[in-house]
Amino acid sequence: MKKNLIVFVFLIFVVSIQAQQNIQLQFHHKVGDKNLQLFTETYSNAFNESFIVNRFKYYISYITIMDDKGKQFIVKHKYFLIDEADSNSKKISINTSLKNIAAIEFTIGVDSLHNVSGVQTGTLDPMHGMFWTWKSGYVFAKLEGQSDSSHAQGKYFGYHIGGFRTNENALRKIRLSIINYQLSIVNIKVDILKWFNAVYPIKINQTAFCHQPGALALQLADNYSNMFSIQP
Amino acid sequence: MRKISIISFLVTIIFICVSWINHSNTTPIKFIVPKGWPQPKYDFKNNPLTKEGFELGRKLFYDGILSKDGNFACATCHQQFAAFATFDHNLSHGFNNSLTSRNAPALQNLAWQKEFMWDGGIAHLDLQPLAPITAQNEMGETIENIIQKLKADSEYRKIFKQVFGEDNINTQKVMKALSQFMLLLVSNNSKYDKVMRGEANFILPEQLGYEIFKKKCVNCHTEPFFTDFSYRNVGLTLDEVAKDYGRMKITNNKSDSLKFRVPSLRNVAYTAPYGHDGRFFSLMNVFEHYRKNMIVSNTTDSLLQHKMPLSNYEIGQLTAFLYTLTDSSFLTDKRFAPPGYNITPNFIHIH
Repeated sequence: MKKNLIVFVFLIFVVSIQAQQNIQLQFHHKVGDKNLQLFTETYSNAFNESFIVNRFKYYISYITIMDDKGKQFIVKHKYFLIDEADSNSKKISINTSLKNIAAIEFTIGVDSLHNVSGVQTGTLDPMHGMFWTWKSGYVFAKLEGQSDSSHAQGKYFGYHIGGFRTNENALRKIRLSIINYQLSIVNIKVDILKWFNAVYPIKINQTAFCHQPGALALQLADNYSNMFSIQP
Repeated sequence: MRKISIISFLVTIIFICVSWINHSNTTPIKFIVPKGWPQPKYDFKNNPLTKEGFELGRKLFYDGILSKDGNFACATCHQQFAAFATFDHNLSHGFNNSLTSRNAPALQNLAWQKEFMWDGGIAHLDLQPLAPITAQNEMGETIENIIQKLKADSEYRKIFKQVFGEDNINTQKVMKALSQFMLLLVSNNSKYDKVMRGEANFILPEQLGYEIFKKKCVNCHTEPFFTDFSYRNVGLTLDEVAKDYGRMKITNNKSDSLKFRVPSLRNVAYTAPYGHDGRFFSLMNVFEHYRKNMIVSNTTDSLLQHKMPLSNYEIGQLTAFLYTLTDSSFLTDKRFAPPGYNITPNFIHIH
């Protein structure tokens, strides 16, 4: 009996030190092929509307790493707020025993449970400006800027996307396949242009704002769920 | 083997000591559910009530530190002598000479409420204070700033540590403390309650009014909370300036147009004006609305399709009954008064 116990403990020990490899996800925010520069650079969308970006941030959660045999490693109960203004937030480090990483999945947004269970802490603290107080719930992703095409005061445009209630669910699952199994740094390109034109055309001169869950938010969520790709 | 038992014994002792040290600074409060009332909706397991947590919540509730310029505490618009509504105001005053867009509701029996605000847009009591704190026409502050201000205050640092056992002040702790105060705002000691408990008797007009109430009002103003917490269109006309469609703003559903939460009638004699925008200045205005002025539209409640016939006699008896819902021990309970007051200050009124 005692011997079995020792063997068991030894096995646990071996398994736990066995080949923990570190994988780093790095998010590279782009506008088309150009690097994103807040406030200074002027870009242009598919409808020839020029714009600058003042703010760009989004939550990702339920990061799942898959190896070539379909084994999964899930980063549970962790919500990452990726913010262009905070370069540290754009790197996520994950320790896993999986090798031959073939795919990465994650969710953009915050699941409904965390929207209705009181005030959360850490990256989900409402003080990060990603929370609607009048219709309580998280803003999953936020893109703000200015454009001559905007008819709003100050030529602002701003898309705040969220929604967890029935018919308003803006959570989107992303799956990215990886060709080179041996990568320890996964570079993910995040293309802001997809917000305006991927599934639905969203023109700044027609739609300068989205500030609540609903049909428009769902369209923008469908659009931006196309913004991620693996950089070779 | 013996060694293991000694070690585990010692570990247990240490564990007990540590947990004792952690909890020795606070005194638990048991939340008492009045006899015959349902179980509360609030999950106390995630926010166990303590005397110190309640007192911290009360201090925050009465402190202008939660507003941008220091002038607007929660208590500025939620006054105890008005059952924590704003006394005599259709709309309340906010930061920089602004007005709120809706009437401040009474705060009572919140532990049994699942959704908050006139449109039910807020899904948890702990999340509720974030709305008035950050609204530009209320307290006008950012969450980040209040956390910074509280962290910079040595007294708050001390109290937060005592209540939560950790140094760090964050949004969650501030809101949990405020909830502890608000959860204990239980009003269940009106004359009506005493009659129900067999401790008092209605006089005749009150009794007659209660009978009329049970025929005409109780479907929506359900006992014991005197609301069924639903959202209904009671035939209000749309205010062309505010363009407030109520519940529809939350659900994006046209069938919810002009629906607002059924307000509790507890302490109704002290919570005038009435209605989501305070358009009714007296109970008489409300009765006149139901029997005459209602506009029946396609989202008007099915119970009010023919308005609500009320005779002058019925209005008189109903008024007598509604006055029995006044809970003066709640309105003057010194536990809910500003910190340092031994009695509830009467009608301190700054506007």
